[in-house]
Amino acid sequence: MNDRREEELITSAGRLTEEVAPGRDLWPAIADAIERPARRPWQMSYLAQAATVLLLIGASSAVTYVMVRDTAAPIVSDGEALIVEPVSYADHHALGPKYKKAHAELEAQLQDELKRLPPDTRGEVERNLAIIRGAIAEISVALDSEPDNALLQQMLLKSYQEELSLMQHVGGLTQRVTARKDI
Amino acid sequence: MKAQIQVMLFGALLATAARGEVVDKTLDAAANGQVDISNTAGTIEVEGWSKNSVRVHGDLGSNVEELIFERDGDRVTVKVKTPNNSSRNINSDIHVWVPAESSIEVTGVSADITVEAVHGALNLHSVSGDVISEAFGADVEIGSVSGDVRVKGNSKDINTSANTVSGDVILTDLAGEVKAEAVSGDLTLDGGSFDRAELETVNGDLLFKAELRKSGRLNGESVNGDVRIKFAGDVSAKFDVESFNGDIDNCFGPKAQRTSKYAPGLQLRFTQGDGTGSVSISTLNGDIDICNR
Repeated sequence: MNDRREEELITSAGRLTEEVAPGRDLWPAIADAIERPARRPWQMSYLAQAATVLLLIGASSAVTYVMVRDTAAPIVSDGEALIVEPVSYADHHALGPKYKKAHAELEAQLQDELKRLPPDTRGEVERNLAIIRGAIAEISVALDSEPDNALLQQMLLKSYQEELSLMQHVGGLTQRVTARKDI
Repeated sequence: MKAQIQVMLFGALLATAARGEVVDKTLDAAANGQVDISNTAGTIEVEGWSKNSVRVHGDLGSNVEELIFERDGDRVTVKVKTPNNSSRNINSDIHVWVPAESSIEVTGVSADITVEAVHGALNLHSVSGDVISEAFGADVEIGSVSGDVRVKGNSKDINTSANTVSGDVILTDLAGEVKAEAVSGDLTLDGGSFDRAELETVNGDLLFKAELRKSGRLNGESVNGDVRIKFAGDVSAKFDVESFNGDIDNCFGPKAQRTSKYAPGLQLRFTQGDGTGSVSISTLNGDIDICNR
């Protein structure tokens, strides 16, 4: 019985085709994978890297804004103990809206200030903001093609900081001159 | 002919209307006190002198409300007060003499600022004017939005912070530590000797033509501008130079290498001398040129 069963199996196997063609040509992808340098073990996944970049940008921008908005506010002394209100890094997702809010506030302040500036200076500020935003766009495009490029990540972060810094610097500029409280 | 005379007369009337009072006042002051000066539009010239007094000579615009000139302890204030909601006929030119060792804070909106022979700390800011100053042994913080910023030092160690948005920053013969930023303007450090230099632009070019001291740190960064480093004297540092899309040329050390087989970037890492200092240069699209002669 066993011998008969074995013969049937051998006969059936013999009827099978020797080659099964895949649905698509897999070789180019395999060749590419072989040629590509091996991934280093410490490298993060694409999504993790993107999240890190966003976190860095959000955190740094929020810190910059919090620091420049009111340097006196976070530190309060009651005469006995110093209460320090730290910037929170715990909730990554919360940094997005905070950054957007800070950006929107600075933008509003800037637009208000631009009305007060001489037309030439206003044009210069707008032109230079466009330059920074153009740089941000350019770096972002480059990051799309090389998301793990540390230089690009660093430059993107710096450019976001530059934008906020310029907005903060120009916003309220004439008020600081014309309404100096020490005079 | 008659029409021409009428135009000339009208112009003369306008010129007269635009100029108001001429003032010349003096107050006693501390030898090394603080002098705060503010003028919205026009020119501000500040000059150090050997007297323990502050003198203001000004040609005030006709819409200027008053010249505030007062002393409170070691602090003297000079302010051209203008109406809140009008920028017409407020152009005022003021020249202020201060004790040479004074520290000063000068602010303007559409005002050019010039400072000479003031040896104390300098804090100088204009919005659309140029800001030009000498620096001696005290720290300098100087900035403009659309104007140029120029500081000439005397090779004594100080901390210098200079920034502009669309103007150029030109710093000559400074020493110690410097931080300079521009967006579309160029940054130039010409002469001097540094423990630390941090230079950043977005679209402007960057030129460092000075000495980097032993253990000194130089950081230069531009998105689209070119970076040229020309060291005066020997340099001993670890170099970390990278451009995403620009060229890297260097007259010493090894040649730059591609960062990736598949991307356009170039990178140059090497140690010169005993490597006690550090040089870090990066650009996105700008070219980088490093030389020591």
